[in-house]
Amino acid sequence: MTESKIDPTTGLLDRYSCLQLAAELVDLAVENDQPLAVLWIDLDRFKQINESFGYDGGDNIISVVADRLSERVKDKVKIGRISADEFICLGDNLDIEKAEKLGAEIMRAIELPLTMGDFKIRLTASMGIAVLEPEESASEFLERADWSKNTAKKLGGNRYVISGSELVPSHMGIINAREELEVEYLLHTALDNGGLQLHYQPILDFKGNVLSVEGLMRCTVNGKNIPPVRFFPVAEVSGLIVRLGEWSLLQGTRQALHLSKAGLSTTVSINVSRGQLSDVRFAQALHAAIILASVKPQLIELELSESLFMDDSDVVQTNLRTIRDMGVSLAIDNFGTGFSCLANLKDIPATKLKLGRAFIMALPEDRRAMSVVKAMVQLGKDLGMTVIAEGVETKEQMEALRELAVDGIQGYYYAKPMDVDTLSTWLTDRGAHESK
Amino acid sequence: MNQNNKESDNSSGQSKRVESLLESTLADSGIPSRPAILERVHVEMNKEEPDLNLLARIISADVALAGGLISIANSPYFGFHGRVRSVNESLMILGLDIACRAIAGLILRKLFPVTQALERFWDASAGIAQLSGWLAQRHDLGIHVPASDAYTYGLFRDCGIAVLLNRFPYYNEVLMKANEEKIRKFTEIEETQCPTNHAVIGGLLTQSWWLPEELSMAIRHHHDFELLQKDDSTLLPPHTRGLIAIAQLAEHLFQRHTGLSKTQEWEKSKEVCLELLEINDDLLQILYLEGAPILTKYD
Repeated sequence: MTESKIDPTTGLLDRYSCLQLAAELVDLAVENDQPLAVLWIDLDRFKQINESFGYDGGDNIISVVADRLSERVKDKVKIGRISADEFICLGDNLDIEKAEKLGAEIMRAIELPLTMGDFKIRLTASMGIAVLEPEESASEFLERADWSKNTAKKLGGNRYVISGSELVPSHMGIINAREELEVEYLLHTALDNGGLQLHYQPILDFKGNVLSVEGLMRCTVNGKNIPPVRFFPVAEVSGLIVRLGEWSLLQGTRQALHLSKAGLSTTVSINVSRGQLSDVRFAQALHAAIILASVKPQLIELELSESLFMDDSDVVQTNLRTIRDMGVSLAIDNFGTGFSCLANLKDIPATKLKLGRAFIMALPEDRRAMSVVKAMVQLGKDLGMTVIAEGVETKEQMEALRELAVDGIQGYYYAKPMDVDTLSTWLTDRGAHESK
Repeated sequence: MNQNNKESDNSSGQSKRVESLLESTLADSGIPSRPAILERVHVEMNKEEPDLNLLARIISADVALAGGLISIANSPYFGFHGRVRSVNESLMILGLDIACRAIAGLILRKLFPVTQALERFWDASAGIAQLSGWLAQRHDLGIHVPASDAYTYGLFRDCGIAVLLNRFPYYNEVLMKANEEKIRKFTEIEETQCPTNHAVIGGLLTQSWWLPEELSMAIRHHHDFELLQKDDSTLLPPHTRGLIAIAQLAEHLFQRHTGLSKTQEWEKSKEVCLELLEINDDLLQILYLEGAPILTKYD
């Protein structure tokens, strides 16, 4: 190893030497085919400590933490100070299990009470743990530990996160991966701090009666709106879609109860994704949401894409049967865009068919589109379904759809998606409770 | 008949039962998505300089809540036995994080009717929560979780049971059977007669009350002991596994000390929990002794 430089405050390796050592240890680990682990430690709330005790006090604390690390784990790992309040520990021959154990030991050492003059304080830390992967460079290896440490921090600190248990930037397209990670963090934040909302868009018949309202998810974090087109794909990839979906079930079922208690007995329609319906526990979660809200299942409708109905996996089909059996109705969302085999349509347990906006946009000028919509309306009705047109924005479209004998329409022509309070006022103003 | 048909038929029967039972309970308002008082406390807590006096006034507006919080601050677990006399002091002693979670626990309890069975249930949850927090503060366990998380987790872990007890008259029998079951999973027994289980309900409830994700995940999986394998971090995050194991041990200490709410869950999980927490027989004996003072209230 080239000459190491020592950090004067702690007596540990300084940042440059840490990075150099990491590169050397990575080479050695590859050469000897041995595991190598890094633990990236970041003290929580250190800014406050500096503000409270001044920089000298902060340095004293850093020095105490460094002593504790040296005392506890110096024989197992090489320790360095990578930045003001961050340390890394590099351990050759450490597999994930040993690294995790060491991580817990370090967390406990840091947590021991510490006396500063008249004060007794308890420090905590956020830690990321990574074990070297095949063909990984030293910088990629350290970067993973740093990401995991940031995850630990964003989850509230005072914990360690093992790399691989969260979304990690891939070697390809690292910028996109980082964006995804950012959106994933925002979604976590929204879920944990109430940044999600369901807005509701009414579906009406041609007499103006409200048939149902569809819940549409909105996400706002720190005043910034994240559009669904940005967060849904990330939610699907990261598996967060199940949590988001469960959140929708909880909110939607509660909204149905809320409306029903206000005398506005309107069905609430909730979107369900493939990720949710492919989960063996989906039906249990739906039951749980209905029990928690204490709502009649008949006031709930689930909207699924047509391809999901065609999915012949046991889990999906069992979930579909259970949903239907419990009295919750099903709607085929965005019909006509999934190229379903029409022969299978007769077996679908749905009671509502929603025509996608792609067909509606072309109405009424496009005669071919009119013909397609007419055929789909006929098909839906022959199968005993209620047919709804989505994305209706103009009077001409509305009139064309009335002519085609669609049962209901949804779109900006009648109403935009609204938050809960606006919806209640809107429904009351229309006398929706009387029209049912 | 294949497995799916069986499941479907079974679930259909259960669903009808659920529906008919729901009819009779629709007068209930359900569990709120997030209680307003919790919302106000949360908003204040998130400010850079929370106004303790304002928080104290918000909490004091509800006498039962104020009393409950003072009582928690005075419990032996926090070491200020009998000396905390006001909501303000309670907030300072507990810290806003624990105070907010304790308030959530108190509000949850208030949502349910006062029955002897439920009162016993809540007392047991409070005892297990305090023991969990105490265990998490120890430095001789093999896994690290923040004490405040362990405390909250203990408080909310079984809240799904209260929901089901309140909703379904037959659930008490299901619970007794599940408590006696020595081999199959607790939740499996519930699912033979209910459309869902208390772990799923508890997970969803805590999720909607914005408790941290790791807590609601731990609640959802707290009978899935196969996920606690020490050498496999991919099954559940370490924090989540730690919470499950610590509260399971806390429940064991509670049941051993009080003889209340006996279940078979420790027998099913002790091997994997003790391994994960790195507790040997000697340490377990120490925990029996040292944990006892926390439970004097339940003697």
